[in-house]
Amino acid sequence: MLKTLAKLLRVLNSETEPGQISLGLCFALVAGLTPLWSLHNIVVLFCVLVLRVNLSAFLVSLPVFSAFAYLLDPLFHAIGLPLLTSSSLEPLWTSLYNSTLWRLERFNNSIVMGSLVFSLVAFVPTLLLFNFLIRRYRDHVLAWVQQTRIMQIVKASKLYGAYQSVSRLGGDAL
Amino acid sequence: MKWIRWGGFMAFVLVMAVMAGVWLLVIDGLVERTIEDYGTDLVGARVELAEADLTLIPAGLTLTGLQVTNPDHPMTNAVEVAQIALTLDGLKLFRRQIIVEEMTVEQVQFGTRRKTSGAVAGLPRAPAPGQPTLPDAQFALPAFDVPDVKTILAKENLETLQMVETLKQEIEQEKSKWEQRLKDLPSKKTFAKYRAKIEKLKNGTKGGIGGILGGVAEAQTIKKEIEGELQTIKDAQKDFQTLLPSLKSRIRQIAEAPQADIRRLQDKYSLSPRGLVNLGSGLLGRQVGAWLYQAVAWYETARPIVVRVQQATAKAADAEIAEPVRASGVDIRFAEAEPLPEFLIRRARVSLRLELGDLAGEVQNVTPDQVTLGAPLTFDFSGENLEGVRSVSIKGDLNHVDPENPKNRMNFRSTGYRMSEVALSDQPAWPVALKSGLANVSIRAELRGDALTANLTGNLSSLAVVAGKPGDENPLTRALSSAISGISRLTVETDVSGSIEDYQVAVRSDLDRVMRKAAGRLVQAVSAELHRKLSTAVRKQVSGPIKNLQGSFSGLNGVGGELAKRLTEGNDLLGSLLEQGVSPQQKGIVPRGLPGGFKLPF
Repeated sequence: MLKTLAKLLRVLNSETEPGQISLGLCFALVAGLTPLWSLHNIVVLFCVLVLRVNLSAFLVSLPVFSAFAYLLDPLFHAIGLPLLTSSSLEPLWTSLYNSTLWRLERFNNSIVMGSLVFSLVAFVPTLLLFNFLIRRYRDHVLAWVQQTRIMQIVKASKLYGAYQSVSRLGGDAL
Repeated sequence: MKWIRWGGFMAFVLVMAVMAGVWLLVIDGLVERTIEDYGTDLVGARVELAEADLTLIPAGLTLTGLQVTNPDHPMTNAVEVAQIALTLDGLKLFRRQIIVEEMTVEQVQFGTRRKTSGAVAGLPRAPAPGQPTLPDAQFALPAFDVPDVKTILAKENLETLQMVETLKQEIEQEKSKWEQRLKDLPSKKTFAKYRAKIEKLKNGTKGGIGGILGGVAEAQTIKKEIEGELQTIKDAQKDFQTLLPSLKSRIRQIAEAPQADIRRLQDKYSLSPRGLVNLGSGLLGRQVGAWLYQAVAWYETARPIVVRVQQATAKAADAEIAEPVRASGVDIRFAEAEPLPEFLIRRARVSLRLELGDLAGEVQNVTPDQVTLGAPLTFDFSGENLEGVRSVSIKGDLNHVDPENPKNRMNFRSTGYRMSEVALSDQPAWPVALKSGLANVSIRAELRGDALTANLTGNLSSLAVVAGKPGDENPLTRALSSAISGISRLTVETDVSGSIEDYQVAVRSDLDRVMRKAAGRLVQAVSAELHRKLSTAVRKQVSGPIKNLQGSFSGLNGVGGELAKRLTEGNDLLGSLLEQGVSPQQKGIVPRGLPGGFKLPF
């Protein structure tokens, strides 16, 4: 049981390059800020599983971004509604509205539209930002974290031991 | 490739498969819970579903054991359905449109008992159905008391007598007036005095011209005086002749007055044919009113739920939401190539299980958004060989395509409806019941907005009517009972107009004619007898006073005779004065005619 769990942890914690972790966080941004059961999140899930993206970063940050979304809903509505009611974009929306796939996506909902646009626009800047922050963390903070009491306790646990043995077979821990 | 995790494909497929599997496992329960929660919210009482089974290929849904509690009676179901099977348009489902191509609803029952209470505390209920007006239950038989003539005459004042009394007083006054005037007019005595003067003048004439001229002047004076007297008599005669015709005319009117009194009293005290109009309709109106009340009560029960569904749909379609909630927001609608409502049942085959048997039918275009669909809801139900009725057919449509002008129509037809023990009149004085009969009924009803119009036609046959009670002594109810007990066929027509809350019912029936004829014959006979008795009694009462009046008038006639007599006397006197007023001596001196055509001034 412990070994299985350790293997799972290894899988989750593979792909530890800063870019891979940042990508995981950005995909979580998209999935977290937009309504979870939207069609585009299947695309996000596919990307997260198929691309070499840090899964644990994705899974851990997803609920965090979801929590942020509750606070940002009025902003998303304020972005989505003008876009959907814009007369210059109406022909585009009308043709999408008559498509089953896009209706399934529920693009005509103000919050879906606003949150998707926001997260897509924020994707690249946050990717660069997370990249920068992760490198700074590794350079200046990681060593201190390794010395904390909590990390000592974690490292002393059996789970960590099993994780270490599995990791030695391939890949580095975070 | 460095960035591709090949195992991720498998993981993705696995995740999707797991999600699909979970969805398939839970979807039935989810559908069941959704229907129960939404239905409970809508109705305001518990809606329960035994089982829901969603299939993907083809897209369909089967609901089993649906119970909708009656919010007013929580231990009773308003509707219970054994099974509902739907085939859905799968593609439209992805568009969040529930388009049911075909629906089969089996064994719909109303008013079934529940095992547990369906009340839900704290839930806002659908608005209470309106309270239609319960029809006035009593049929009123017109009062029929044969009046006593003596009592009538004791109570009533005859106008004839009043007229006689008035005229009599006037005649007496005139008589007094004329008696006084006659006293003031020249009489025999007066003319006797003139006659004496003339004699004196004749005999006392002196000789000579002076004497003759003096005599002529005096004769002239006498003549003038006589003429003056005659003029006053003539004036009086003229006045009297003016008075007489008007009195005669009034006496003629009085002679006709008893007839008017008789007519007036008869109109007041006899049962005229006008009082028998709509007797039959009044008898049938109560039962018709009760049926209408029931129909309106059913409509009022269904209406709040229909209104609530429409309001909920309108609210959902409204673009304005005050506070967008997570994953809620505002759905903007765009023009569709094939616009359809969000919920539509194109065709539903329904079988109803009623107390009288099974009805089967079809409902088309069920949707709360007829404006988008552009077509009204139509329904068509029928049943044959039911309990107590040979066949029943109900068709109609609910047209709310134009929300400003809603129009709901219904045609109902039933043949061979067996009636039994229908009470038409509960009056102890005259109970009437329809023991048995067959009815063919046709109803057309239309509700435009709040304005209701309806027409009911009923052809009743094989009737067995029981009317009246044993030992009934009232001739009217005996006559009516005899007339309607023999009826075997009947036609009833009812027109309804007004609003659902306040409607007026007008019932017509050939029972009116039957009852009017029966009662009319009786009324005519009684009326004729009353007329005969009234005529005799009134004439007896007025004959004496009229005779006295005529006697008074005759007395006044004497004045005319007296005036004529005095005038004749005066004229004779004047005539004799003119002929014999000159003495034999004066004859030779005073010729009758002077030469040159001059005449004497007398």
